Amino acid sequence: MEAVLKNLASAAELLAVAAHSGVVEQWDKQTLSRAFHWARYCEHIFSRFHSNPEMRGIMEKQLQLTNQSLRAAFPEYTEVSFSDLSRCQHLLLVGLLNNPELPISIMKILFDTWSPASANQSEYQDVTGFCNHIIQCKSACKVLSPFTGASAVGADAEVQGVMLMERLGALLSRGGEACRAEHFLDSVLQGCEGAAEHFCLVIAAALLTTKNSAAQTASQGFLLDWLHRKHSVLQLMCSALPAALLIDLAKEHLKFRDAYCDVLKKWASDMEYSVSEGEWVQTSTKRTVSFQKLTEHFLALFEACPPLREDVEKELNALNIADGDFDVRGLSVWGDLLSALNN
Amino acid sequence: MSQLQPLIQLHQMAESLMNSQEMQFWLEKAVTWGQADSPDTQEDTCLHLSRLRDFLQQLLAHINNMSSTTETMKRLPFLGQFLGRLCWNPYVTADATSRRLLFQCLWGLYSEHPGNAVERKANQWIRKVFCQLATEEDDAAAQALMKHMGVPPEEYHLKVLRKMVALLQENIGKSCSSICNINQRCSCDRIKATSEACVPLITCPEAAPLIGVLLQQPVTCVRAALSEDFLDALSSAYSSQCLSLEEQAVVSLWYHNLSSLEEAVLSLLECVLANTGSMPQKLEQQLAQSLLPKACAQHCAIFLHVNDIFRSILKQAEGTESVKYLIQTFTSCFRRELVLLQHQTSVSLKALFPQSPQSLLVPLLTLPSEMPREAWRHHLNWLSGSLQRLTEEEEEGDGDSSSSTRGHHKLFEAWFLLVQCAQWVQVAVQLLVTSGPEDCGPLLWLLTFYHHPTNRGHHRALQLVHAREAWDHLHSLFLALARPLPADHLQSLVTLLSPQPQRPALSPLLILNLLVNFAVFFQQSLSGSTEILQTVVDWSGLVDEAVCVLNSLELRLNQGSCISSDTNRLHLRIKALQNTLTHRREALCPAENQAHALARSKTGVSAALFHPSCTCSEAPRGGVVRE
Repeated sequence: MEAVLKNLASAAELLAVAAHSGVVEQWDKQTLSRAFHWARYCEHIFSRFHSNPEMRGIMEKQLQLTNQSLRAAFPEYTEVSFSDLSRCQHLLLVGLLNNPELPISIMKILFDTWSPASANQSEYQDVTGFCNHIIQCKSACKVLSPFTGASAVGADAEVQGVMLMERLGALLSRGGEACRAEHFLDSVLQGCEGAAEHFCLVIAAALLTTKNSAAQTASQGFLLDWLHRKHSVLQLMCSALPAALLIDLAKEHLKFRDAYCDVLKKWASDMEYSVSEGEWVQTSTKRTVSFQKLTEHFLALFEACPPLREDVEKELNALNIADGDFDVRGLSVWGDLLSALNN
Repeated sequence: MSQLQPLIQLHQMAESLMNSQEMQFWLEKAVTWGQADSPDTQEDTCLHLSRLRDFLQQLLAHINNMSSTTETMKRLPFLGQFLGRLCWNPYVTADATSRRLLFQCLWGLYSEHPGNAVERKANQWIRKVFCQLATEEDDAAAQALMKHMGVPPEEYHLKVLRKMVALLQENIGKSCSSICNINQRCSCDRIKATSEACVPLITCPEAAPLIGVLLQQPVTCVRAALSEDFLDALSSAYSSQCLSLEEQAVVSLWYHNLSSLEEAVLSLLECVLANTGSMPQKLEQQLAQSLLPKACAQHCAIFLHVNDIFRSILKQAEGTESVKYLIQTFTSCFRRELVLLQHQTSVSLKALFPQSPQSLLVPLLTLPSEMPREAWRHHLNWLSGSLQRLTEEEEEGDGDSSSSTRGHHKLFEAWFLLVQCAQWVQVAVQLLVTSGPEDCGPLLWLLTFYHHPTNRGHHRALQLVHAREAWDHLHSLFLALARPLPADHLQSLVTLLSPQPQRPALSPLLILNLLVNFAVFFQQSLSGSTEILQTVVDWSGLVDEAVCVLNSLELRLNQGSCISSDTNRLHLRIKALQNTLTHRREALCPAENQAHALARSKTGVSAALFHPSCTCSEAPRGGVVRE
């Protein structure tokens, strides 16, 4: 254990040196490979211990200590947290590439084309072409993205959805970590501020990943419960996602279907009749959905889940009766919705 | 030297002038590409990619020739802007070669010891460009998600790319399967567009599955054609061996692109002919590895094209034994693959061999193992008779030039088919061992025709006489029970095997083939047969050739196209004969080796066997037979 902690401290020092010290001027291919080897070791430590609260606590404490001393040595130093360790190679790379003292020969190694001939006989994995490969993948994605219209959520959101499920699964796997998982989802939501609609796609993709194990079913259940509590996210999903995707989700998850139906009813209840427009409109300043759109949502949902129709119509009928059961347009949103649905 | 100086400067000025003009063209291109992200600009980028590579290569040479970055900037002031724009064009950075050249150009502009502010600024800029290329994310949401989920960007981008490829693969598979109107829009339009977008991704290993699917999608719709640029790019990557495609995708590439098919056939020929004399088993392996027989069985068009190549090689190489053997083995591998596919394809033999004499097609393509052994002799007599009639008919019309050309063509095709199905020639040789003087005529004619298809100078009659002589001598030698061996027969046989500059020589291989078959199949004791074989081979210096004939006989025995009720005994006999010959070869001392080589070079046989350009027996020449 002590050795692991010592290694962690060294890794943080390595990241600091790579980013801020002029020592990198002395680096050669061997040093570079060793540094990446070290970073991979940290990634391994992360995946080994991240779901162990006790170990993580100890390691976090160690990192805090190291951070303090490193801040003293390098004023521009950015602290390394335990969760940063999962992307240690990336942090190392960013630090190195931003260090003006990095020898150009080292940069060339990273951006070179990897070939079996250039592979060194070092004990460490060859880092030649590390950046070259990243650039190739990124560029290839951009080239292909105009053609991937077949995916309802997009390839990136699909991958992100899988990532979300994996992370959630890992957090939930040890039990009693529900609050951490909750916190994780909250922080992701926060991180996606400004890209909330994209986050809706990610959640949809996560809920549509194939369930191969009980753990995955549990993760999706957890995500649905969380969504239930985050009413704004749920509403945004219902208004922003394509109708077909919402239907897929409703077919896949009963909980989502009910939540979706509730959102639709809530939208209806928030509507008032605008005499000037001759139509039901939402009272809130942000009009997310029109009466016409609302009807379409209901109809699509009924088509996908026929048994739902009877229940919902019964409910709407009761609400209409409570409103006085007048057969005049513009008096009860429920009555007008019922007639629109049965048109 | 001082006189040269102005000249060099002038030359450099002219060069840089040309560069700056071209530079202008490419800079404008880069600006246009960067301005709009429309399908048109994408297409234009892909279209220009290969020319851009050439230009970058030129540019790199130019940069490396300059004494400093300051000088380069002075000559090509827009260079930095141009390279910078290319760095943010995903089509350029996705393409492995362009990316490499682009990076090299940037490195070329980096000054190890900057001499002024311009160079220092350039250095900073270059570092920044590289840093941004590798680490900057333009998707803020993705970046936030990666950070929160602890996924490194390199892993994330790889996953997204694989996902995209998988989605596209699925999408291509769903393309329309009905024959639709050329004027009608249909989902197949995207196939051409997708294939175009793949041009920069040809060598990207992650894109290989998508390229494979594109190549293999059945062309059921007129709109589902692949982009020509895509096929050209694939073909050139294929020839420089930087493609990582699955077998089936390679077959489809050949189907779509003839030049890559030709390249594959020629490299097979090169590889096989460079190692002639190798074991026949190895040849079969090489053929299977080349995938070509399989591809031929799957696509009639590929088979026809490969056969055309064989035809012309056969004419050029004048029927070199190794080429003939390759064609025969290839054809039997092809037939085996065809049988495996029988329930899937139903191409008629006529479609596969449109030029061959149709009456000979089924009889020759029937494998000896597919026919009762008792019927072989009758079958061969019929084949020999048919071919003989064909030659007589064609050679009669020799006077009239147009009908003669046609005739030669027909005759060549008959002979070509015989070469493809030469296992029947081998059966004929084997049957000659057990034939009597009265019934060996048709078989000897077939054997002679196989080795000497043209009757140039009306030599066939004479060659037939020699073949008959050789058979007579062998027959007598193997009948002889008393020792020493009858010297007159031995001597005459060796004389027949030696080069005869004055008269049309009989192919030594024909005789050797007969000799080896006699040694294996004749009812003579092993020691007796070994003695005869060894004596003749020693005297004529044809050890390697004899070993080769033995090896192919062994292979044929394994495949069941030999008359034998006792395969085991024959195997042992062949092994024993092989051992004797191999030991014989090894035992030769250096001095003898020289003599041996001399004998070989005198006979010219080994050269013919081992070198495709030498004449061993003659085939109708390309000059005579024009198709």
